[in-house]
Amino acid sequence: MNRIMGILKATYNFFAGDAIILTAVIAAFVIGWLLVHAAKAPNALIAVVFIVLILAGITTTLGRELAGRKRA
Amino acid sequence: MTGQLWAVAIAAFLASCVEFVEAFTIVLVVGVTVNWRSSLAGAAAAAGALAVIVAVFGTAIVTLVPIDALRLVVGLLLVLFGMKWLKKAILRYAGLKAIHDEEAIYEEHLAELRARGEAPPAKLDPFGFVTSFKSVLLEGLEVAFIVITFGLQANTKTQKNGIPIAAIGAVAAFIVIVTLGSVVRAPLQRVPENTLKFVVGVMLASFGTFWGGEGLGITWWKQDLSLPILVVFYLLVALALIQWLRPYAPARQVKASVRRDRLEQEQRPVEKEVLG
Repeated sequence: MNRIMGILKATYNFFAGDAIILTAVIAAFVIGWLLVHAAKAPNALIAVVFIVLILAGITTTLGRELAGRKRA
Repeated sequence: MTGQLWAVAIAAFLASCVEFVEAFTIVLVVGVTVNWRSSLAGAAAAAGALAVIVAVFGTAIVTLVPIDALRLVVGLLLVLFGMKWLKKAILRYAGLKAIHDEEAIYEEHLAELRARGEAPPAKLDPFGFVTSFKSVLLEGLEVAFIVITFGLQANTKTQKNGIPIAAIGAVAAFIVIVTLGSVVRAPLQRVPENTLKFVVGVMLASFGTFWGGEGLGITWWKQDLSLPILVVFYLLVALALIQWLRPYAPARQVKASVRRDRLEQEQRPVEKEVLG
């Protein structure tokens, strides 16, 4: 059990290592896919949503680094 | 050679140049930032896998390999890798990442080795290997698609040389790009470590967004021309994020205190000698 968890943790750290980035990127791809194939949304809108979701991940995770810090 | 075959060779050359530039950029930055062993091993493994795929499927590769699914997977992984690197580089630039962590000490050691002209340990790095492998495999497949589709279009009942001629165009593109890449390799190695990691993060995120988007079915504006636009966009966003985080970091004070401690340690033996 511990070995399996170790492998899973190593895989997670290798590919992402950050739960917020992982969630945002997967959300970007899933929502992007739905917009293309299910909603048949306009191309420009899909591109914007896709990029914004990816950037939301890195912005949120960087924002969390500021927790407890004061502006100098 | 007929005018049509020349046109096929030139078109294959230009289209392949774009794909080789994309693949070579990743191989180059992985080589400079991680190590050349991992980067070249990944590229060589991808070339081997590509040779097997082409040998097994032949011209049927165009219909049998799901290129969009491949773009989607490679794009997703590159975005994840890119964001991970970009986060670390942004935190370091903003002064929020701890100076005395293990990674920083290791990087300091690497920088010292480089300053002394010694080579860093060339251990096979999984990240470097995989990043280089999937980029070369994806772009290599795209080149194979270009050669086969351009070549087949040029074939007629009397003339069947379309594919070899298109392949010559692709090989010429490979030689040109690798030669240009070797020229820019040396100046790249003098760029500071964190700057390179920052640039790699931006590049991986941009390439990942581009390929991932293509895999999803997004038609990028002006196709491959969107790639440099994405790179500039991600770069500007990353710089804005650094500006946002910087006021929260006591980086200068920390750096100054570390430097002061080091100076004091270095001066102590001198003071002992002078003062007895």
